[in-house]
Amino acid sequence: MRKLANHVYKSIFRIGWPKDERAATKAMVSSITLHVHPPKVRPAALKFRATWALGIISVVLAGALTATGVYLMFYYYPHPDVAWRSMKDLAFVVPFGVVTRNLHRWGAHAMVAIVTLHMLRVFLSGGYKPPREANWVAGVGLWVLTLALSFTGYLLPWDQLAYWAVTVGANMAGAVPWLGKPLRILLLGDMTVGEAALLRFYVLHCVLLPLLLFGLVGFHLFRVRKDGGLVVAEHDPETLAAKPGFRLPSWPHLVYRELIVGLLTTAALLALALVANAPLEPLADPSRTPNPAKAPWYFLGIQELAHWSAFWGGVFIPALTVAVLCALPYVDRHLHGVGRYFPRERRLASGLFLAFALFFSVVTVIGTLFRGPAWALMWWPN
Amino acid sequence: MTPREDRWLHAVFAFASVAIVGLVGVAVAREWTRPLSIDQRLVPALGVVDRCITCHDEAKHPGQMLEQHPVERFGCTICHGGQGLATSAKAAHEASPDWERPLFTKAERDAACGTCHVGSAAPIARVAAGRKALADRGCAGCHTIAGVAPPNHAPELDGLRDKVSPAWVRAWLTDPGKLDPAHKMPTFRLTRPEIDALVAFLWTLPGAPMRPMPAEPAGDADRGKTALAKVRCATCHKFEGRGGDFGPDLGLAGVKVRSAWLWNYLTDTHRVHPKTRMPGFKLPPQDAADIVAYAAEQWVPDTGVLPWQAFEGDVDPKLAAKGLQLFADHGCGTCHFVAGARAAPSAPALDRLGDRRLTDLSRTTQGRMLPDVPAWVAQKVQAPQAFDSAGAAPSKMPTFPNVTPEEALAMGIAVASQHASPPPEPWIRHHEPAPFVPPPGETGQLVERFRCISCHRFNGQGGDVSRIPLDNVGARLRQGWLERFLREPVTVRMDQAERMPILGMTDEEAKRLAAWLETAFGDGRIGPAPVFLPNDATEGKALYALNKCGQCHVGDGGGTMKGPTLDGAAQRLDPGYVVALLRDPAVVPENRHVGLRLPDAVARPLAAYVLSLPGASPWPDAPH
Repeated sequence: MRKLANHVYKSIFRIGWPKDERAATKAMVSSITLHVHPPKVRPAALKFRATWALGIISVVLAGALTATGVYLMFYYYPHPDVAWRSMKDLAFVVPFGVVTRNLHRWGAHAMVAIVTLHMLRVFLSGGYKPPREANWVAGVGLWVLTLALSFTGYLLPWDQLAYWAVTVGANMAGAVPWLGKPLRILLLGDMTVGEAALLRFYVLHCVLLPLLLFGLVGFHLFRVRKDGGLVVAEHDPETLAAKPGFRLPSWPHLVYRELIVGLLTTAALLALALVANAPLEPLADPSRTPNPAKAPWYFLGIQELAHWSAFWGGVFIPALTVAVLCALPYVDRHLHGVGRYFPRERRLASGLFLAFALFFSVVTVIGTLFRGPAWALMWWPN
Repeated sequence: MTPREDRWLHAVFAFASVAIVGLVGVAVAREWTRPLSIDQRLVPALGVVDRCITCHDEAKHPGQMLEQHPVERFGCTICHGGQGLATSAKAAHEASPDWERPLFTKAERDAACGTCHVGSAAPIARVAAGRKALADRGCAGCHTIAGVAPPNHAPELDGLRDKVSPAWVRAWLTDPGKLDPAHKMPTFRLTRPEIDALVAFLWTLPGAPMRPMPAEPAGDADRGKTALAKVRCATCHKFEGRGGDFGPDLGLAGVKVRSAWLWNYLTDTHRVHPKTRMPGFKLPPQDAADIVAYAAEQWVPDTGVLPWQAFEGDVDPKLAAKGLQLFADHGCGTCHFVAGARAAPSAPALDRLGDRRLTDLSRTTQGRMLPDVPAWVAQKVQAPQAFDSAGAAPSKMPTFPNVTPEEALAMGIAVASQHASPPPEPWIRHHEPAPFVPPPGETGQLVERFRCISCHRFNGQGGDVSRIPLDNVGARLRQGWLERFLREPVTVRMDQAERMPILGMTDEEAKRLAAWLETAFGDGRIGPAPVFLPNDATEGKALYALNKCGQCHVGDGGGTMKGPTLDGAAQRLDPGYVVALLRDPAVVPENRHVGLRLPDAVARPLAAYVLSLPGASPWPDAPH
């Protein structure tokens, strides 16, 4: 019996618990889950400040969102007549319904923020430069997918908040010249947000966008490894102090750290989900427009800009932002100061990028907190 | 990696693991506090998912309400409000950001009854009273309210300039209560220049179709007073401080109407005021002139309005145009029809006010929030200016005269029973009595002229001057008697102050109307004349005493005058009706026999006795 158990174990885990560096390397290579990691990593790449763990946190959040999302799908009906009541059932009768919805909601907000910060970090350390250009573009794609996932999920509770946020979002999409109207109809399946839009958003949110995300995440992680691992400074004092080419085995150094980040992220999210309830407003009522009607917070910067000019603020700047982000690695190609934050050689790039990020943060904060009825400025957030 | 770094990592790992275990523990513990099983009532057609019975026992519901409203058909929240889906007391009973309607207040519960029980005669006292008040107060003139008809008996203003003086109109628009304490028209908060503009506009309207009042012979005030008494004007009008308050106080007519107009009104009422509720009188010119003379003597000095005076100078067209604008803005045209002035509802529709959330309702000037929609409406009715805010234009809503807090709240309840999407038809109960339909042809013209329904009730509707409803009147009274009565009404109920006026019918007209009443107002519950047995009348005499009929009725030389006199009842009453009434008083609406249900063996002899009581005809000349 023991023999059989041993046989089964060996059939799955070909290498046992690694006892030496050689076995550890073998373990990393032979396991599909661990194989996305390199067998060995540079010590500098293990430093917290090299990544702030933002990429791993994003992956953990994506995993948590998938798990909670599947649970929610068991109880959710994507039809206006019952969608909101599904939220009520989650709140009142479904076991762990409240905490699951909270985890999903806060996890989604966190993921939007973390993925954005991840992009900021990669930019600041020059991680988009050759040979990582394509992976940066893939990252931009993942950022857009994250926003799209969050936006499509926003509608599903079918409450006033969801309905009007998505109405505003769809209206902003409608401001695109020529393509705006067809784009809106393609998105909503109708002239206004209704049952067709709810079904479309549901399918996008639960099937199409997650599939794209998973695929692109696979590509992204694979390319991290194939492009030479994390970007670290060639002239990092610590790297220099070590022997050239010195590597630590990923097992346990990298894997353990990842595990800790995963646990911490989970704990933080769980704590948040137990303390704060996901917002829910009254049932969507197309005849009762809240004043002001606001998009989800991550689009409020765009809404704020769109308030100044529907085309320039709502279409041109966002489109230009994505275009510039994608073109960036093919324009800014010199390798000076890569792997360090704010190196002298990249003062202009860092400054411009930070200025833009700051600008967008400020308009987002204004749009979120300081805009009252009729989009009038309020000096005191309510 | 240094050992220090490793220790640090292990500490964080341990912390995170413990934290997760602890947090999962909290989540599980929370799950534990929820009811393990829930009970619910589902009524899919009403969208009801009520989990109230998880905690509440419906068998302990007080009163008999659930007998007719079983929970399995209605759920709980239809009547009680609150969040039926909730499984905790707080969420079920209170408002929250996602649930704006907490448990209903008492007034909201009444309004909830009115959601299904539609119609003016809904069997919920406050709903019915509110709907009646909404109709009587003319709310539907400015607001759209489902099931409430716009007012239709305000005087038309064409011809106003021939009726009253500009000074009177000014005083009326400033404070109608001063001129007529029983007035119906609400007070609009108008400024002096606005009133002047309105008067200018009213004086551009066409005049009344007046016939000249003969100067000779002059009227005589003393004879006028006699004429008023003869026609029984006091049934509806007050003069010298006495009389009914259905119509305007005649004591004020002297300062209100122009003599020539009053003379025209009395000699051919509907010619100068087609929409009045008053029957069309055609008094002899001399009687009319006498009454006009009497009215001119009736001074009420403290109103500050002088007797009729012509409009000074010419009407300023600019001012009149401004007046027309004001007339339209204040929705005057919805009650007082004027050709060329807008008459569409000008105020917010009230047909979905029941859906309003408290947070949607305006607060008072002091920032007070009303406890529910009925209270908000009541406040609005009693003092609309209470909601005016400093920056905005004041509310155009007028103040209504003599509204009691109860009436205002009833109006609020009636308004709060209106929803954008009422329950499906199987749950709706209609309580709209069949309207009074005048007959076609010549009889119809007579009914239109004498306006029976202004004073008499039919099917629960109509005026309340008379206590005699028209329902089954034909089955109750003998045709011959009706005929004489219409021509020359006599007193049947000594205790009634209101007596039928002398309408001045010709024989022909009375005959026609009596025939119509006899045929169109029958009743299947009232059978043909019974066959009385020889000793029924004798037996009935004892029963009459036994049942103490004399406590209310005059008959056979005794009794009191609370009820109609029974002497000579056979001339008046249909024998079948007397028996039917004694068996079941419900055959006549509003009958005071309530609860007196006699078996056949008692009713028949009693009827025989009553019908045998002798009495002289009130019309000595009449053959019978």
